[in-house]
Order: sequence, then structure tokens, then C-alpha cells
Amino acid sequence: MKDLVRLRTSLKEEIEIVLNAQAKMEAEASQKYLAMASWLDRSGYEKTAEYLYKQAEEEREHFLKIFKYITEVGGTALTPTIGDVQQDFVSFKNVFELALQNEIAVTNAINKIVAKCREVNDYATEEFMMWFVKEQREEERNARRALELFELIDESAAGKFTLDKEIAKIGE
Amino acid sequence: MLHNSLSELYQNSKGTTWQCDLTHRIFLKFGETLTAFKVQDFFAFRRKVNRVNIHEMIFNLSDDYDYELVEDPRHNFSHKLTLCEIVQLRDLLDGTKFSIDMNSMLHEVLGEVELVIQ
Ligand SMILES: [Fe+2]
Ligand SMILES: [Fe+2]
Repeated sequence: MKDLVRLRTSLKEEIEIVLNAQAKMEAEASQKYLAMASWLDRSGYEKTAEYLYKQAEEEREHFLKIFKYITEVGGTALTPTIGDVQQDFVSFKNVFELALQNEIAVTNAINKIVAKCREVNDYATEEFMMWFVKEQREEERNARRALELFELIDESAAGKFTLDKEIAKIGE
Repeated sequence: MLHNSLSELYQNSKGTTWQCDLTHRIFLKFGETLTAFKVQDFFAFRRKVNRVNIHEMIFNLSDDYDYELVEDPRHNFSHKLTLCEIVQLRDLLDGTKFSIDMNSMLHEVLGEVELVIQ
């Protein structure tokens, strides 16, 4: 009897499921950053808004990267449904606290996928995911750096103006 | 079996499944209907059937919940199933998936050998 599963794809079903979940998470992150960018823009933080618009685009790319990988190895990539995301934030700083929280959640999810890949001997997907492991290290560092700037620069009117400029420079 | 390219995967009181090595299809006979799936479509169909809310069917007394419409338009599978039939279909699909995965696992462990499961 032929091994129809293996002939069709190198992806095990459980890996296909977690990859689709991760694609969804990246797409969600993109929407979240977009909402943050909009809030920053309408609150006058033009430069940081621009920075988060760029983050939103990057997350969209992360989403596509996983989406295309699933198809490349013979799996079924499912277009994710994204629910409502937070549109209002209590403060400038709060935006970056949430951004860091979200990046940590993404890192945890990616680590779990790597662990799962090892469990089922899917080294190709593990290798593919390593790009994300590295990316998350950078993303977490950037999010932490933004919060650090809030420690260094007090949030007076002039401080806010400086913060807007300095945060936008992160990751340049 | 009628044809030696067909191997039976699973059977219960309501149906039988086979794998066809010539066409690379999974055949599902459930009641009077025979349906052929590509393996990935078979898995998707199984997940769909597993998503049916059985608890609603049990506890909701409205007539709407006596039957659940299980549809897979691409494969001409469209049936209103009773709770009991859903459970039997799930068993058939789960058992089949077990055989498919087991076969795949044996291939992975044993390599290129011809497996005949009777
Ligand atoms: Fe990402
Ligand atoms: Fe990110």
C-alpha cells in the first residue's frame, strides 16, 4: 500500500495546523500594528506612526512567508479570519507595552513550533522556522528599546516630541 | 477485494473505506453513498465532521437539531445525518485516518518496502 500522505506532502498534519495558526498570528500582529499606527497618527506622533506602519507591513510579510511555505511543501494554507483588534490606547507608552507583550507571545508560539518539529522529526520546517527565531530576537529587542526610551526621556511636552523622533529611529 | 490496487482501511457497521493505489484516492462508502477523496481532502473532510457540535444535537430539543447537514460539495457528499450517524461517520473517518497514518509511519520506519495490509 502506497504512502499517500507522504507522496502528497512532507508536512505532518499537526505541523500544518500549527503553521496555519502561526500564519494567523502574524496576520493578527499586522492588524494590531496598523491600529496602533493609526492611533499614533491621530494623536500627533507622526514619526512613530510611520515606524509602526512599517512594522505592520513586516508582519504581513511574515504571514506570507509562512503561508507560501505551507503550500510549497504540499500542505493546505488557509486564509485566516482576523477578529477585531484594539483601536484605542490609554497612552503613548501603553502602545509599546502592548507591542512588547505581543512580540513575546509570538516568540513563545514560534518556540513551541520548533519544539513540535523536533518531536516529529520535521527538520525542514525547523530550519525554516529558525529565520523567525532570529527575527523575534530582534523584534523583542526593538520593542524593549522603545520602552527603555520612555525611562530615559520624561513625557513632558518636549519629551514627547523627542520620544516620537527617537522611537522612530529604532531598527534603522 | 475486487481490485488488487484497493486496500481496505477501516470498516464499521455503517460503512467501509479503501485506499486506491492506482488513483491515489481514499474511497468512502457510507450507507449507500460512495465518495472518492484525495488524501488531503479526506483529512479536511474529517476535520469538518469533527467540528459538528454533538452537544447541541443532544441537548437542544428544537427539531432543527435532530439532523445536521454534512456537506462537501466538491465531492458530492451532502447528507442530513442524525446524531447516531454522525458518531458512526466520525468513527469511520477516525479509524481510516489511523490506518493511513499507521501506514505512513511504517513507511517512514521501514523504508521502501511493499506493505500489504489485509
Ligand atoms: Fe512577525
Ligand atoms: Fe513582530
